[in-house]
Amino acid sequence: MNSIDPWLDPTEVRRLAAQLLSPTHPPTMTATDAGFDSAFIGYAAHDDESPITPPPVQDAASEPPPDRFTRFRDWLHQQFSATGVFILDHEGSVIFDDSRHRRLHFLARSVALSSHRPDAAQCHVRVKIGVEAILEIIPVQTADSYWVLGAVVAESLDPASSALVRDALFQLVSTAAES
Amino acid sequence: MISIAVSSQKGGVGKTTLAINLAHSFARVGVKTLLVDADPQGSVGLSLTRQSRSLAGFYDYLADPGTALEHLIIPTRLETFSLIASGQGSDYEAGGGTMGAHLARVREFLRRVSAAGFDLCLIDTAAGLFGVTGDVITSSDAVLIPQQAEPLGIRSVPKLLEGLNRLRVLNPRLSILGVCLTMVQNDLSESTDAATALRQLLPPEMVFRTQIPRDGLFVRASARGLPVGVLDDGAAAQANFDSLRSEVQAKLAPNESFNTRGS
Repeated sequence: MNSIDPWLDPTEVRRLAAQLLSPTHPPTMTATDAGFDSAFIGYAAHDDESPITPPPVQDAASEPPPDRFTRFRDWLHQQFSATGVFILDHEGSVIFDDSRHRRLHFLARSVALSSHRPDAAQCHVRVKIGVEAILEIIPVQTADSYWVLGAVVAESLDPASSALVRDALFQLVSTAAES
Repeated sequence: MISIAVSSQKGGVGKTTLAINLAHSFARVGVKTLLVDADPQGSVGLSLTRQSRSLAGFYDYLADPGTALEHLIIPTRLETFSLIASGQGSDYEAGGGTMGAHLARVREFLRRVSAAGFDLCLIDTAAGLFGVTGDVITSSDAVLIPQQAEPLGIRSVPKLLEGLNRLRVLNPRLSILGVCLTMVQNDLSESTDAATALRQLLPPEMVFRTQIPRDGLFVRASARGLPVGVLDDGAAAQANFDSLRSEVQAKLAPNESFNTRGS
């Protein structure tokens, strides 16, 4: 027995050494990670330059909450080509998620909370997460809670669109809180 | 240009001796070499220059964007061998600073060294793989790890490997040149046993065949402010570093930006 082996785990050391000697490749983002799927066709589909319209309003009492979120998601997809949408509450719980990007939840909530200023207008932050993928993070403060929308889009939202989304989200979560 | 960080998890392993003499070996064969002292203790400067504490150096460059690289470079009698001292890095001595805080400056530093026409930048770092040392490794092309041939030092190898794996995530192009056994005492069984055990433990390609013996010549050379090969009786010791240099060159051979200009 030599003087080294009792002090360390040779198998683990060899694994670490082999890892160091193996070639590495820069991290790549898969199509799913980037927020795109085979159905994504981008803004080229919007040649008609149709104006952005708010989501249709329905009677809150007549529509179950999951349907409201789905409708909101559809509206984001239709108007802004959002390919992934999630909504978190003030504790980070997932209220709605069709994004397949669970890793983005922590990022979105952290960024939203760190950029939150009680004395400032509600802000809107974006993070580039892929070559052509941007995570729009739009928080809204309701009377009794704080909500964070994450939406993966190809091009960042202009201020007017951002405000429209925020208003729509505010209506959505306010209705959800009442029902 | 190739940048090589000479780094170790543990201090006192002969890192500075290896960096000085390996850099000198490269310079002797015509590789335009810059030896950078990135150890706040200023070991290279203390070994090779007498006024090192008053010299501006690497840490001044990190602290002041207005510092011109050419003002830091100290030429030597060997045309292909230049130094940059540590400078005023006392702020970094405790804890090594925050990792990532100087990454951009370190990378800018290396870009400027390359633009200055050097073929090789050998960087003697402080012990540990964090703080500015982490930034240097994360910015370098390759890392060479001196490892003292004694049981306690070799027990730190898992931590070393873990640290390098973490840094390699940040710098995927980082080449691990390997571990060089230093301060080997052939007349001490604990030292030779430790060297043997390390060779059995790690893949052969990760441990240099060349090993550096413990030799009083290194103390004499340092006392006179010279690389060991410059001493009248330093040829045998120099041969160790020439052998190490050949191994490093062989590992770097695929990289075409590494030039040897002929001696």
